[in-house]
Amino acid sequence: MLFHTWIFFFFFAVVYAVYLPLRKHNKAMNLWLMLASYFFYGWWNPYYLLLLFGTSAIDFWMVLLMERSQTRRAKKAWLVTSLVSNFGFLGFFKYAYFFTDNLNALFKHLGTTFLLPDPVTYPNAMLHALGLPDSSLFVHVLLPIGISFHTFQSMSYTIDAYRGTVETERSFVRFLCFVSFFPQLVAGPIERARNLLPQLQRAPQITRADVTEGLSHFLVGFFKKVALADYLALYVDKVYGAPDTAGAPALILATVAFGWQIYFDFSGYTDMARGLAMMMGFRLMLNFNNPYAATGLGDFWARWHISLSTWFKDYVYFPLGGNRHGKWLTYRNMLLTMVLSGVWHGAAWTFVIWGALHAIGRVVTRELEEAPWYRDRVPKLAKQLGVFAFVSFAWIFFRAPTLPDAWTIVTRICTAGWTDPQFPLLMGVLILSVWIYQLAFADEARLRNVLALAPVRFGLAAAMLAYIAVIAQRGSQAFIYFQF
Amino acid sequence: MKEQLTFDKGRPETTRGIRAHDASNTLQLSARQWLALAALAVVLGMAVPALWPRLEQLSFAADYRMPFELSNDYWLYERCTRAATAQSDVLVVGDSVVWGQYVKREQTLTHYLNERAGRERFANLGLDGAHPAALAGLVEHFASGLRGKTILLECNLLWMSSPQHDLQEQKEFDFNHPALVPQFYPHIPCYRADVSTRLGNVVDRNSAFNAWTRHVQQVYFGRSTIPEWTLEHPYANPLQAITLTLPATGGKLRHKAEPWTQQGIAPQDFPWVALDYSFQWRSFRRAVDILQRRENRVIVLLAPFNEHMLTAGSRERFAQLKAGVIASLRGDHIACIAPALLPSEAYADASHPLACGYKQLADELFASNVLGTAEPGR
Repeated sequence: MLFHTWIFFFFFAVVYAVYLPLRKHNKAMNLWLMLASYFFYGWWNPYYLLLLFGTSAIDFWMVLLMERSQTRRAKKAWLVTSLVSNFGFLGFFKYAYFFTDNLNALFKHLGTTFLLPDPVTYPNAMLHALGLPDSSLFVHVLLPIGISFHTFQSMSYTIDAYRGTVETERSFVRFLCFVSFFPQLVAGPIERARNLLPQLQRAPQITRADVTEGLSHFLVGFFKKVALADYLALYVDKVYGAPDTAGAPALILATVAFGWQIYFDFSGYTDMARGLAMMMGFRLMLNFNNPYAATGLGDFWARWHISLSTWFKDYVYFPLGGNRHGKWLTYRNMLLTMVLSGVWHGAAWTFVIWGALHAIGRVVTRELEEAPWYRDRVPKLAKQLGVFAFVSFAWIFFRAPTLPDAWTIVTRICTAGWTDPQFPLLMGVLILSVWIYQLAFADEARLRNVLALAPVRFGLAAAMLAYIAVIAQRGSQAFIYFQF
Repeated sequence: MKEQLTFDKGRPETTRGIRAHDASNTLQLSARQWLALAALAVVLGMAVPALWPRLEQLSFAADYRMPFELSNDYWLYERCTRAATAQSDVLVVGDSVVWGQYVKREQTLTHYLNERAGRERFANLGLDGAHPAALAGLVEHFASGLRGKTILLECNLLWMSSPQHDLQEQKEFDFNHPALVPQFYPHIPCYRADVSTRLGNVVDRNSAFNAWTRHVQQVYFGRSTIPEWTLEHPYANPLQAITLTLPATGGKLRHKAEPWTQQGIAPQDFPWVALDYSFQWRSFRRAVDILQRRENRVIVLLAPFNEHMLTAGSRERFAQLKAGVIASLRGDHIACIAPALLPSEAYADASHPLACGYKQLADELFASNVLGTAEPGR
């Protein structure tokens, strides 16, 4: 169920109408939100609910067992059990084909006859053992939507509980509600238990400002997705669908367009998620903060997918030692964290390279920022454009379906002729307008005061609404980040 | 650089020093502004489709028929029904048989009827692919202008020739005008659109604004969306594409006009669906009911099916079906005309006559008194 579809509007209208009176009764509120969230998630495929419920239940019980543990060792054992189960599910559903294909390729290369079976044979063997007929066997392992998001959210609770930074949740229903909270279930923000659970423990207060602010967030997110991201996708898909025939300008423009597409797509989802939660009296964490206004790669990651980058910072980078053991270990930790972040996005070498590129970018810009000539003399706009160019280059590996495709695009950008890119003027105008708008908002520029004027805001909102109603595409495209 | 996360008092987690709407560039509107925006949207949503016809002229002149390429432009169809109601006495409603699939606009049934009448008395409101289930949706949602008139409503039994045409098969079937058929109830087993698409269709056909936006896209942007159009015309200004001139009314031949016997079509063994179980028949009756409720006088024209191309067994089943249709309509006091079978060479396929067939049909209809005495409201 996508936020920008009619079914969601009807779903939300029903959920909200029931939620408003129920929110004063905590148990009923959590039960209602949990049921609504499970319905929302099960809409794609009800079988996914088993996984969602299973991982949530294991984490809930592991934390209860941790609390009852007398020794640190026993506590750690429960944490490890939780992590193994979470990574086990994630590994199987998301990475099984990746590992199987790569290992089999390696075995072939080494000349052995041993090959790993198709990952689907493992669950099928279990079903066979249970005596189920062949007709009930699986054909393929399907990737459950948003598995990385809800698994990481659930895992953060067990890790924080182990560290003692979050209180043990005693209500199973409330915990299920925390993991499955529908506005942010499938594409984040990846909430922390210490932020969302306390909000679920009390009766949310909904002010008029919550509703208007929530609606505003939703409108902007809706516009980003339907009017901008889906529009840009048309050009990106066209060029990236046949990179062999595209000229260098088209490939460059499609790459830049993809940078904006993924930003509008993902931040649009987040805006809608935060807006919906706000209307319900909940505050979800900020996930994007003008990332293309960043002046360094570190700055970029402090602005892009904040809930994921802070997750990796808290649970990977800091435990590895962070920046406490000298420059080289810091860079090693950065590299590991960024590569893992790349792998989190998808099971393909393209994502590994994308993560590694960002790690190199972070190291380079960190070094540069320590140099006075760069820090003081290079204009801010030049830094911003430099970061944007680098991030756009890295997006090639994120967007290209395969590594050879990515390589084709990179080489053709350098070698293909400068043919007419056929880049729609309207698309260019939209991107430029949003870019200028963002830069104006990010800085304390004079234009910002103009943008803050009530008639201007009203006019912009009306223009967005009109654009959505008249021009935006019919039909709905799924959000890019759902696949993660 | 503001990258540290913190807990604000009262606000659980946000970015320090950054107001949320600054960070996400959200345009903040107050409650009053939201209300004003909603009011503006409602006013414009009603005003634009209402005022648009003043800018975009529709010349509903002699022999007008909907441009074929705009067969899904239901907003234009609605405009045509209003224009036809104002100009003509008898409105001929139906599918491509009325529209004139194999003939030019000056060879259609309505043209020959007007020729016989000596004046513009009949209007062509045929829509390509409008099977009865779609026709019922069309008259319900996009033909509110048909009120207090005489309607010659064509019934094409081809749509009941098989369970597939009758939309009763379980297997998914890509039929015409899915947006016009019942979206939820009665259930159409071969219609597999997702719930969101169905809800969207329900909203679209109840919103003049949505229908108008589709009209604009279909007329000026080659039936694609404006974003898709800009991909084909990257340097063109979309506003300049809106010329406010409707395309010609379908003067060209859509298909080669030759008898079915010359097209190598083999005799067909249509199974036919029993009247009592036919979804399309129930839909047709619904269309009749809707038009009658609007105080129209409805005369059903049973389109002369090409029985020449049926096998003997199929022809027998067809005869039973046809007799059942006539009996059912007459039993409910609905005027019904069942013209005689046309000569074999007057058909282009199973149901579409050629020009000579339309002429003969018009002669036969005109000879019958039922059209001459037609008055609205009965």
